[in-house]
Amino acid sequence: MRDAFFVSLYETVARDERVVVLTSDTGALVLDALRRDLPQRCINVGIAEENMIGVAAGLAMSGKIVYTYAIVPFVTMRCYEQVRVDVCCQNLPVKMIGVGAGMDYSILGPTHHGTEDIAMMRQLPGMTVLSPSDNRTAATFAFMAYETPGPVYVRLDRTGEPLIHTNTVEDLSAGASVLSTGTDLCIIATGRMVATALDAAKLLSEQSISVGVVDLYRIKPLNAELLSDVINGSKNVITLEEHFITGGIGSAIAELIAERGLNCRFKRVGMPDQFVREYGSREYLRATIGLSVDNITNRLASWVGALAEQVSR
Amino acid sequence: MLEAAELERKANWIRNEIVEMTVGLAGAHLAPSFSCTELLVALYHGGVLRFNPEDEQWKGRDRFVLSKGQACLALYPALADLGFFPVGELRSFCKLGSRLGAHAESNVPGVEAFTGSLGHGLSIAAGMALCAKMDGDDYITVALLGDGECQEGSVWEAVMFAAHQRLDNLVAIIDRNTLQAIDFTEEALALEPLEAKFEAFGWEVRTADGHSFDSIQAALADIRDRSSGKPLAVLARTTKGKGVSFMESKPIWHYRTPNREELEQARKELAR
Repeated sequence: MRDAFFVSLYETVARDERVVVLTSDTGALVLDALRRDLPQRCINVGIAEENMIGVAAGLAMSGKIVYTYAIVPFVTMRCYEQVRVDVCCQNLPVKMIGVGAGMDYSILGPTHHGTEDIAMMRQLPGMTVLSPSDNRTAATFAFMAYETPGPVYVRLDRTGEPLIHTNTVEDLSAGASVLSTGTDLCIIATGRMVATALDAAKLLSEQSISVGVVDLYRIKPLNAELLSDVINGSKNVITLEEHFITGGIGSAIAELIAERGLNCRFKRVGMPDQFVREYGSREYLRATIGLSVDNITNRLASWVGALAEQVSR
Repeated sequence: MLEAAELERKANWIRNEIVEMTVGLAGAHLAPSFSCTELLVALYHGGVLRFNPEDEQWKGRDRFVLSKGQACLALYPALADLGFFPVGELRSFCKLGSRLGAHAESNVPGVEAFTGSLGHGLSIAAGMALCAKMDGDDYITVALLGDGECQEGSVWEAVMFAAHQRLDNLVAIIDRNTLQAIDFTEEALALEPLEAKFEAFGWEVRTADGHSFDSIQAALADIRDRSSGKPLAVLARTTKGKGVSFMESKPIWHYRTPNREELEQARKELAR
C-alpha cells in the first residue's frame, strides 16, 4: 500500500512543481526514486518532526503543497501541536502521510504502533482523514490528498494486497463503499481490517450468518447520509479497526448513531485499552488481543447468537 | 526610512498605545512587548523590511514571523500606523468580537503567521526561506523569537535545519531580555552561552543593543546581500518592560496590567 501510494505521488510531484515532499528520515523504495529524480522537492529533513511540520507550514504559506511523511506516531503525535496550530489553524495544504497503521510494525512495539492516530487526527478542525484499505485506494488517495484543499492525513499500511477494490473505475469520493450486504450483521471496517472483515464474513456465512461489509476509507468528513442508510438497513452493526477502541471509527460511528437516533444494536471491535508489549508477527499480536479472523468470527457469531436469544426471550 | 529621532517617537507612541490598549484588561503582555518595541520599529519603520500595506500579500514582500506571538501588542500598533488596518481599531484589542487578540493572529492584515505557542515560528520562517531558495525569489525572512522561547527543543531543530539548508536569506532576532514568564532564564533553564550555541550550530551571530536603532540597523544592514550560506542570528540585548521604570526586569510584569496608580505612573513616564 505504501509503495502504491508513492508511485502515485511520484506522478503528482512530477506534474505540479508546487508539490514538495518532506520525510523525517523515513524511507520507501519509491521515495528513493523521488529523491533521485527531484531532489530539490523531496527533502529528508532529519529526525525532527516538529520542525518538519513547521517548515511544511512555511512552505505552504508561500504557495507550496506539501506532503510530510513518517511512521504514524511520529507524523501525528510527536508534532501534534505543530499540526494543530501551524497547519490546521491556518488551514494550509499540508498532507500528513503516516505509514504503519495499527500494529503494522509489529515487532517494533508500541513506540511504532499507530493506535491513537485516528482519534487524534479526526479531532482537528478542517482535517480530512483518509484510511485506504488496499493498493488501489492508497494510489487514489495520493492524488486525492493533493486535490483536497487544506490539511489531510493519510493512514497507510505497508501491505495493500489482496485488492479489495478491483473495480478500476470506482468513484472513491463517497467516503465509504458498501462491499457486500447481509441480513444479520453489518461490519463497518477501515484499513486492512476491511480484508479481515471480508474473511470473517465468509466464515460467518458458512454458519448461516449473513454479513455485509462496508469499507470506511474516509473517516473525516464522514459521509453521514450513506452511513445512516447503511445503519438503518441493518439490525446489528459492528465497527472493526486496528486502533485503540477509544476515539477511532467505532467512536465516530457511535456518535453518528447516537446523534441521529439510529435504531440498531451496536458494538465496537478494536484494540483493547492497553499497550501491546508482546512481540511477534502482526497476525500473532492480533490473535493475542482478539483481532485475528478466527477471533473476530467467533466474537461476532456469539454476539449475533446472544442477540437472537435476547430477542426470542 | 525615518530618521532616528522619528523612530524614537514611533517607539514611544507604540508604548503609549500598548498601555491604552490594555486598560481594563485582567492581564496582558506589556513587558514582553516593550522589550521588542524598538526591534519592530526598526524592522517596519527603519527601512529593514520590504512590504506594501496596499497589497499585503504582495509576492515580493519580506516575510516577518513574530514567533513570540504575545508581542503582537507591539506589532499591531506598528502595522496600523503603516496603514495595514485602521489605527482606530487598536483600542478594540481583546474586546468582544475583536480580531485583535493577545497572540499574533494571521487574520489581521500584515500578520504573516499565526503564533502564540512558543517554538513554532522559526520552523515556519525556515520553510518560507527555503521556498524563496527553491523559487529563486529574493525576499528575506525574519523571525523574532523570545529568549525564553529558545528553551523549546523545536527551536533547535529549526536552527539545525536552517544551517543545513544554508538559508542565508533567514534572520532570527532573539529578544534577549533575560526573563521568561516567572523567572530569569538563567535561573529556570540556562541559555548561556547563547552566542556560542548558535555559532556551534552553524549560524553567523551578531549582537546588538535592542533599544538602539543605530545598533539594530547596523546588525541588519546587509541582510539582503549576505551569501555566506549561513543563516543570521541577532542576539538583541533588551530590557523587559523597557520604558516604564517599575516594569523593567521584574518577572511579575510578564503578564500583568497596571492598577490605577501604576497606570498613571506609566502614562507619566511615557509622556513626552
